[in-house]
Amino acid sequence: MSEKVQGGWRYGKARWVVLAAIIFGLFLFTGFFGVGLGIKPIMPHVFLPGENLTEHPMFGIEGLYLTNTLVGLLLADLIVFLLAFGVFRGVQSGKLTLTGFGGAVEALLEALLGITEGTAGKWTKQIFPWFATITLLVLAANWSGLIPGVETIGLVHHYEGHGNELIKVGPFQTIWDNSHAGEEAHGDYAIVPFLRPVSTDLNFTFALAIVAVVMIQVLGFRSQGVGYLKKFFNFGTLFSKPIFGFIDMGVGLLELVSEFSKILSFAFRLFGNMFAGAVLLFVIGSLVPVFAQSLFYLLELFVGLIQAIVFGMLTMVFMSQATQGHGDEHHEGAH
Amino acid sequence: MDAAAAKLIGAGLAMIGAIGAGAGIGIVTSGAVQAMSRNPDVTGTIQTNMILGIAFAEAVAIYCLVVALLILFVF
Amino acid sequence: MEALGLNLPFLLVQIVNLLIVYTVVAKWIVGPVMGLLEKRRATIAQGLEDARIAAEARANAEKDAAKIVADAQAESSKVVREATERAAAAGKDVKAAAEAEAAKAREAALAEAELERNRILGDLRGQVAALAIAATNKLVGDALDEKKQHALINEFFSGVKAGKVVVVDGEFKGESAEVTSALPLNKDEQETVKKSFGAKEVSFKVDPSILGGLVIRIGDKVLDGSVAGKLDGLRQTLK
Repeated sequence: MSEKVQGGWRYGKARWVVLAAIIFGLFLFTGFFGVGLGIKPIMPHVFLPGENLTEHPMFGIEGLYLTNTLVGLLLADLIVFLLAFGVFRGVQSGKLTLTGFGGAVEALLEALLGITEGTAGKWTKQIFPWFATITLLVLAANWSGLIPGVETIGLVHHYEGHGNELIKVGPFQTIWDNSHAGEEAHGDYAIVPFLRPVSTDLNFTFALAIVAVVMIQVLGFRSQGVGYLKKFFNFGTLFSKPIFGFIDMGVGLLELVSEFSKILSFAFRLFGNMFAGAVLLFVIGSLVPVFAQSLFYLLELFVGLIQAIVFGMLTMVFMSQATQGHGDEHHEGAH
Repeated sequence: MDAAAAKLIGAGLAMIGAIGAGAGIGIVTSGAVQAMSRNPDVTGTIQTNMILGIAFAEAVAIYCLVVALLILFVF
Repeated sequence: MEALGLNLPFLLVQIVNLLIVYTVVAKWIVGPVMGLLEKRRATIAQGLEDARIAAEARANAEKDAAKIVADAQAESSKVVREATERAAAAGKDVKAAAEAEAAKAREAALAEAELERNRILGDLRGQVAALAIAATNKLVGDALDEKKQHALINEFFSGVKAGKVVVVDGEFKGESAEVTSALPLNKDEQETVKKSFGAKEVSFKVDPSILGGLVIRIGDKVLDGSVAGKLDGLRQTLK
């Protein structure tokens, strides 16, 4: 692999490309020695929910509009399906190693499988598919936000009073900051992007969190049967040991509460990280339009990967905790 | 005071809670890294537990974020 | 909730989508990749096992080779030792045979010499007798006739008189006897000697130094009937 990095795209060439890009950025966004275009970057409006792309709800279902996050979901799905196709084809070919994206997926899954085997033990077969699914889907969703054009190309919406001026650039339209020094920008238009990474939509993160927590309970019941409920309703020692029994019951009820708080923290952790990442890119892009955003792109690449793995790993750890139960009562599950 | 300005201030104040989470994550990571450097053989177990601990600490910050978002966008 | 963008239809859409993705990932990514990893693990394990077997086989072969070499060395040293032993034995045999041969030859030569001497002495006997008779005639005149003289001489030399060994009186018998005479005994005299002892084996020796008579050795007893012995006794007495 290392020799491929060496060939063709050497550091010596790459730095000139970076320099050229910086100069081009300066030319676009500043009055660079009087020859620049002086385009003023616009801070987009931040919407927490996904923005509607259509006027009417789909299939006549109330509330189900085609939002840009739904398109982002389809994009993430498409990426995962393509990876699945590639991996499946690669494995079908009978080779012992995969190449290209399939190889990357395989390397990622091998690392994840190692973690799962160390934590989940004999339940690896049941738990690992969830770990892999969540990680791959969230990774695809997170990184799809970094594709150029996502969150920038879209429909022009009328946005009375708070938008910007609309101008034509060839066959396309764009919004234009027409403000002068000391004045507020004024116009009636804003852009609703076609694509927005689906992990900035709370519906997606809540769906993931709900499914994950439900599957944690399902695996708990599968491994321990009805005895799994003892974790939450621990009344057994309430009368034999008055004080500690009461404490045990309280701990069990706290466990029950923590199962619901898991949904919240799962959902808002991913949503918060990705949404904040997107807003961060907006803000940095509008404040320092040249070069600085590249560094934050790298940060977002890292955060996207970490959040995907953390979501999957927490699910995996909670699942294996549910299968293990308490140390004293060790039921052999249906296996 | 303008209600919109109060909202913004309130959201900012809500996020103060993230301080605790940040300190907690730092402590957790420092302990885990020390443990890993002392006993590299159990790196895998420590890493898993570290991420679990970070997740619980981070949950507090996430509640702050939820409150901030609620203040900004819901009320 | 509306402000946060949460609504039930979307949530359901997302959940359904997640289940679809789970199915796809579990079927087409996790399954094949786990199979692949398992296969690779098995291949590696197989490779290691093969290597181990090969190493074992090589170790065995080396052991066998060492054993073969050791066997060959033992065999060769055995052969060398045997050859050496055989050569030594053969040498000893040859030497013994040669010694035996030499001894035989010497014995034969000795016997021959003895025989020759005896024959010469036997030839001399007649002449000595004639000389003695002549000398006696000179001394005592013709007192004795020829025959008597001969008998006397014979008696003197052989110690055998009138079919009887003179020196032996009484029972003196044994299994084997050695009879020494001054001159060789003739056949009749030998017979007489044999008869008188009743001995199965009688060896006859000739020793002129006893001058006359017989010295008879039976077992560990020696009977000195020799003239020399008598003279010796006389000399002792005269001293």
